[in-house]
Amino acid sequence: MKHWRRPLIVLAATLLVGAVRLPLEAALTAELRGAGLLAAPLAVGTREKLGQTSATVALGGLRTLVATFLNLRAYTFFTEARWDDVADTFDTIVELAPQTIYYWETGASHQAYNASAYYLNDSDLPPLRRDAAWRAAVLKGRAFLERGIRNNPGNPKLNAYLGYLLIDHNKSRAFRDHDATFLAAAQAYQTAADAPDSLPFLRRFQLYSMARVAGHQAEALDLARQLYQNQGNRTPTLQCVYFALEMGAYPMLFDPESLAIALFGSAEKAYATLSNYWLRANDRLPVHGVASAIRALEAQLEIGADKSVFLQHPVQNAEDE
Amino acid sequence: MSQTPLSPTRSASGSHAGRISVIASHTFTQLVRMKVFYFLAVFAVITIGSNFFDLPQHAGPEAAGTNILNSIKSWSVGTMTLFSVVFAIVATALLLPKDVEDRTLYTILAKPVPRLDYLAGKLLGVILLVFVSLALMDGLMTAVLQIRSSMILSAQMELAHSRGWSAPEIASMRNDIVSQGPNISLQAAVFVVFLRASIMASLALLISTFSTSTLFTSIISFMIYFIGHFQADARGVFLEAGAGWMTRAIALLVALVLPDFHLFNEFDAVIQGQAFPPMLLGQITGIGLFYAVFYVIASWFIFAEKEF
Repeated sequence: MKHWRRPLIVLAATLLVGAVRLPLEAALTAELRGAGLLAAPLAVGTREKLGQTSATVALGGLRTLVATFLNLRAYTFFTEARWDDVADTFDTIVELAPQTIYYWETGASHQAYNASAYYLNDSDLPPLRRDAAWRAAVLKGRAFLERGIRNNPGNPKLNAYLGYLLIDHNKSRAFRDHDATFLAAAQAYQTAADAPDSLPFLRRFQLYSMARVAGHQAEALDLARQLYQNQGNRTPTLQCVYFALEMGAYPMLFDPESLAIALFGSAEKAYATLSNYWLRANDRLPVHGVASAIRALEAQLEIGADKSVFLQHPVQNAEDE
Repeated sequence: MSQTPLSPTRSASGSHAGRISVIASHTFTQLVRMKVFYFLAVFAVITIGSNFFDLPQHAGPEAAGTNILNSIKSWSVGTMTLFSVVFAIVATALLLPKDVEDRTLYTILAKPVPRLDYLAGKLLGVILLVFVSLALMDGLMTAVLQIRSSMILSAQMELAHSRGWSAPEIASMRNDIVSQGPNISLQAAVFVVFLRASIMASLALLISTFSTSTLFTSIISFMIYFIGHFQADARGVFLEAGAGWMTRAIALLVALVLPDFHLFNEFDAVIQGQAFPPMLLGQITGIGLFYAVFYVIASWFIFAEKEF
């Protein structure tokens, strides 16, 4: 018994000291988690997916190392077009390294772009199921990206990437409610643009997204006027969107041709830019007054009917005017 | 014979600090002679090799830069963690049994060397070894990261200029790459790896004072190392209502007895680009020192009465 007396005293001291440090360590853990320096404990499901060895390594504080190896494994799945395995692997990767933006972007891109395109073009599925699989993959990519944003609130890259996905006209068929989708894109771009040192194009893309939402065009016009003040923002798309928003808000106030020449600098430039804009019908950008302006500019510049832009994309309804 | 002011017992080499430093440097030399630094060759191969491997990339050329930097960091810091913990445990577990086997322990304790000085010297020798190893690995990682990020930066700048990117876009891309390269937060994270290894060394020292073999000390230390990462989980189970009393009692015991190694896992976030605030680093360092000092005092308390 004497032999164990001192170890037992040490054990008692350890327990006593443990009781003192327990609340302190709990508070510090909370502080470190709040600062984003410590990750939350791994979910049981993730531990199971990792397997015994990797889980041990990850629990031993080497999560990013395991994530790096899983990323390599995901690449193999990607080359073999095993999309479910790619999705599963990225689910595990982002559990291990939730702050690595690259993993969120890549996981979303595999679903929304690579898997969806595969289902549509290369799979052996019958046409109806192809379309359903394509849509499911696009929505899965979006959901993954939104989960990434919830894990990294305000991250400009992820928000910009979400905005890019939501305004991609090749994907718009997957999102049934266009207004809600464009509004979500505008909000994502706004968050990205509000971040410090954000790139100027993000605010312009916020405008392009908002301009497409019914009921938000007055708000978009205010933003367009504000952006137009800065010479660096006067890209062809911004000039066209600004033109369409002004014409939409004040159709009786402006003459389309005069406003176009005033905004673009010359009739030739106005015609070239508005014609290109008109051909981007799939983008669903506002086109108020664009057709009228083009028609008037064609007359002024004596462009023959055989060369008219309307031959490539005719006026379909009164709203286009 | 009366002592003079210059007698050996009062000189610097006779002080606590002097004795501890002599034992520490002897321990360091002893461990270096065991050719432990050979592992650095393995680390060099991993780190330098990772700079030349053209690993598969999911993303396009615009994003091909930063992910490889993350990979280099996670491999390097992962390897540093493993090596430092293995070193700390195995080297410390070897200390006492080897001194007993070589009978050097009897020679030392027969002299007027307090047992605390002996233990502190031995531990400092191991910690010095871990520090030198980590410093060498860190230097190599930083050099490789610096070279690789410069390569990526120049390639991306060329791409950006060829595509006519605007000045703010180029600046943003540059910031992205630079933030993933070597920085002060990464050095802080490596320091935390060192702290964790030092705690493991002092814990292994405590176990070795009552253990009967090197193998026992090593196995128990590694078990504590892994269970220590669950400490935050155990504390959560204890603090949250809902679990049975038996589960909560076990959770409480784990939380009270074992060190919380989860607190030393910041490098995962730092690798992902998170900054390490100095205030938090200070708090972590304080906890690390507390554990190390507590385990050394506990080791001395047991070792003081041990008979050989």
